[in-house]
Amino acid sequence: MSGLLLSTKGLSVSFHSPRGSVEALKGADIDVAPGESLAVVGESGSGKTTLLRASLGLVTASAGSVALLGRDLARCESKELVSLRRRCGFIPQDPFGCVPPTLNALDAASEPIRIAGRGSRGEALEKAGGLLSELGLGDPALWKERVRLSLSGGQRQRVSIARALSLDPEFLLADEPASMQDAANRAEVMAILRRRTQKGMGLLMATHDLPLAAAFADRVAVMYKGAVVEAGPSESVVGDPLHPYSRALIAAIPGIGKEIRPPERVEEWPFGGCPYAPRCPARTGRCKEAPPLLPVAPDRDVACWNAREGGR
Amino acid sequence: MIAIRDLSVTYRTAARSVPAVRGVSLDVPRGRVTAVVGESGGGKSSLVYGILRLLPPGTELSGSIDFDGMELTRASEERMREFRWKKAALVTQGAMNSLTPVLTVGYQVAEVLRVRLGMAGDEARERAVELLAMTNLPAGYARKYPHELSGGEKQRAVISMAVACSPEFLVADEPTSALDVITQAEVIATLVRMVREKGMGLLLVTHDLPLAFSVSDEMAVMHEGRLVERGTPARIATYPSHDHTRTLLSAFGLTARTGP
Repeated sequence: MSGLLLSTKGLSVSFHSPRGSVEALKGADIDVAPGESLAVVGESGSGKTTLLRASLGLVTASAGSVALLGRDLARCESKELVSLRRRCGFIPQDPFGCVPPTLNALDAASEPIRIAGRGSRGEALEKAGGLLSELGLGDPALWKERVRLSLSGGQRQRVSIARALSLDPEFLLADEPASMQDAANRAEVMAILRRRTQKGMGLLMATHDLPLAAAFADRVAVMYKGAVVEAGPSESVVGDPLHPYSRALIAAIPGIGKEIRPPERVEEWPFGGCPYAPRCPARTGRCKEAPPLLPVAPDRDVACWNAREGGR
Repeated sequence: MIAIRDLSVTYRTAARSVPAVRGVSLDVPRGRVTAVVGESGGGKSSLVYGILRLLPPGTELSGSIDFDGMELTRASEERMREFRWKKAALVTQGAMNSLTPVLTVGYQVAEVLRVRLGMAGDEARERAVELLAMTNLPAGYARKYPHELSGGEKQRAVISMAVACSPEFLVADEPTSALDVITQAEVIATLVRMVREKGMGLLLVTHDLPLAFSVSDEMAVMHEGRLVERGTPARIATYPSHDHTRTLLSAFGLTARTGP
């Protein structure tokens, strides 16, 4: 309807075990448009990976909705789900778990093309070889090496990226896509993804690396305990963070001539309400009620009572 | 001061020898943060394990490491055991996973005091609580088990153990690489406080250039086993003299960003 690649509304996901349930996502609202890159940023356990997986229907929503490429996932038959997913690329977090270890690098990179039945074996290999070269794995001797025996973590991750790009996705979901790259390769990998978004691909990237997100994504959504607490254009979120958690994240980032500051310690907070209140130095009595994510300025959404009052 | 001169570390196997550190000279003074930065494989960790003589058997260590007149490269194993913990303590990236899951955190800190300093049980237990408090872990934490602590709390508990014998130096090898930025800030603030308040020397080894720029008084850049550049963070940020330093800086987006 809206031409969005992804639109989640109030998306919640719970995981159950004999020892209790965990709500990994609590009412997340996320939109990604064609050609746009959105980075979801947050610490471990904030729900980034679950958001990506739920967006592809790999885990089921316990509440809320996911519209992927304009289709409501709750109403999709499994056949339609498969065809929707084929239009998307997915880079999982762990390249050791997602790249077939017994294949050689070239077969691993071309496997999705062959499974989807797009083109001959020769065409698939040629395309995969081109992608591997673009990703800095251009040595044909390396292509014939088995993934398990000869590829480092960083190289496997680049094979995983080649797989995700091999079907020219309209929408790419990337979970820490550069986590195993050193600083120089990280910039290369991000530049490759950016070339795709400039041609119209949408990108949803999960990362705990806020400087990386700010440098490469158009928009940033800061997540905390399963909810989006702040969203907006990267430059404004990083330059003028409005949520106290975003401010703490930015104060903790090291840099030249920048002293890193750990968050202030606060007394216990037994009241529930805002998920960040137990760590928030700026909380007030009103925070006993959880604040919703609402616009405080054009294109700036914040889930904090104080930011809203200050923003007006 | 730990004065390192022309230090080389060469790993040997039956088939070949791999030089990891090649002729590095570096002073690590007390009361200051000295950061060693570089890519993985650049020799940073080998330098650290060379200083503490924790290299695998058969590894060749040459050059000199002078610690207050003691030559560490030739010191007996017994004297090295005294040097580690009491003079220079090590905090590693995976240190938080080195805690025993079946004993309380307080017991493990007290154990260091009993074994290394011969302290009596009660006194060691009390002192353990003080040491945990120094790293901002409140009194109740002594009775907790490692699984009840977050990653950052465990790393801070390990720092409590490292400073238990009041060492003059802390050697930290990627102490925060497994942590998110907020937790990293808490752990780094703890380490820096040890330097500022207790006058310890901190040798911080990290691949995280921005982190080194934030906390160090002096930086050393390693590349392919050699120390290619040394200076204050301000000088290195403004006038990097070695190509590899410039490469590292631009890789971290720390110079004018080129292209989109």
